Amino acid sequence: MLSRLVFVSASALKSSGPIGAGVVHASRCLHTSSQSLAPVPPLPEKGGKVRHGFIPEELFQLLYPKTGVTGPYMLGAGLLLYMLSKEIYVINHETFAAASIGAVIIYGVKKFGPSVAAFADKLNEEKVSKAQEVKDVAMSSLAQAIEDEKKEQWRVEGRAMLFDAKRNNVAMLLETNYRERLHMVTNEVKRRLDYQIALQDLNRRLEQEHMINWVEKSVISSITPQQEKESIAKCITDLKALAKTTQAKATA
Amino acid sequence: MAGRRAALKAIDWAAFAERVPPNQRTMFNNLKTRSDAIAAKLTSLPEKPPAIDWSYYRSVVAKAGMVDEFEKKFGALKVPEPVDTQTTVINGQEEEANKTASAYVEASKARIAQYEKELEKFKNMIPFDQMTIEDLNDTFPETKLDKEKHPYWPHKPIADL
Repeated sequence: MLSRLVFVSASALKSSGPIGAGVVHASRCLHTSSQSLAPVPPLPEKGGKVRHGFIPEELFQLLYPKTGVTGPYMLGAGLLLYMLSKEIYVINHETFAAASIGAVIIYGVKKFGPSVAAFADKLNEEKVSKAQEVKDVAMSSLAQAIEDEKKEQWRVEGRAMLFDAKRNNVAMLLETNYRERLHMVTNEVKRRLDYQIALQDLNRRLEQEHMINWVEKSVISSITPQQEKESIAKCITDLKALAKTTQAKATA
Repeated sequence: MAGRRAALKAIDWAAFAERVPPNQRTMFNNLKTRSDAIAAKLTSLPEKPPAIDWSYYRSVVAKAGMVDEFEKKFGALKVPEPVDTQTTVINGQEEEANKTASAYVEASKARIAQYEKELEKFKNMIPFDQMTIEDLNDTFPETKLDKEKHPYWPHKPIADL
């Protein structure tokens, strides 16, 4: 209890105070001299047990076999009476001062002790939890980093695919180019043969037209004026005959 | 015509895409579009051009011997295959990439070993509520107060409190 007071009064300490837990999780080697390498037991959490605030429990345990439960009390009362009666301790003004101050102190500690202790414990708890958080975050981030590294290694393994893709592209391009060349050759040869055919057709057409024109012209020029008169007279008689037949048909 | 075609390896684009890290995704997409364009162009071209009907031409074309001459020359013609200059370059690139990759993997393994060591340290640490200040300074050397540099309490610059 008093140790907690000491702790609070020396504020801003990073000390974790007298602490300990029931179970030892891991050994702490503090024997830095070469005398002993035994693991140090964990620090106790609370101070030694006391009775009435200042009398250690060990005295009671010591006297219990011989004098039972009331032994130390009898010892204390006897010592007190001895000192008073023999005037080894003299009662004077200071006695009353000490008594009143003692009463006030005891009242204060009993009333406010637990709350002050809880406050000090809370401070300590916050420090520990902060440290614990830091440790947890560090551990998780390390684990994550390890995972990421492994993933990157796995990614690197896929690099062969990139080069396969590139080689495939090159092969495809070459193949395409070769086919294009074949096609081009065939098309060119075809074009030349078709050109020859088209040329022939054109020639024949021109000859035909020319011949027709020439025949027409020669026929027309060979028609003499005599023939022309005869043919016109024939046309007129034919027309007259036709007119007569149509008139007859119309009236009939 | 069959002998010179290098066998096209089937590429699993899905698996490839998985292995691409996010910062190289645009490059991967560009590669994919280019490859797809090239493949489309290839499949659009028939493998052999249509055969020329020589008998028809022989019957139609009046010039004697022209068609025969064409046919003979056409049959004798060998279309040269395009020369492959890039495959060696790509192989060279692949070897280089293998080297850098193995170096990277080595470095990565070293990093993993370091992380594992730190993780071990954290795992084997005693719990905080059983530590003293000495234990804290042993586990985390950065918490040790420098009593030579700052001999008076609080042993560190006031601004760090």
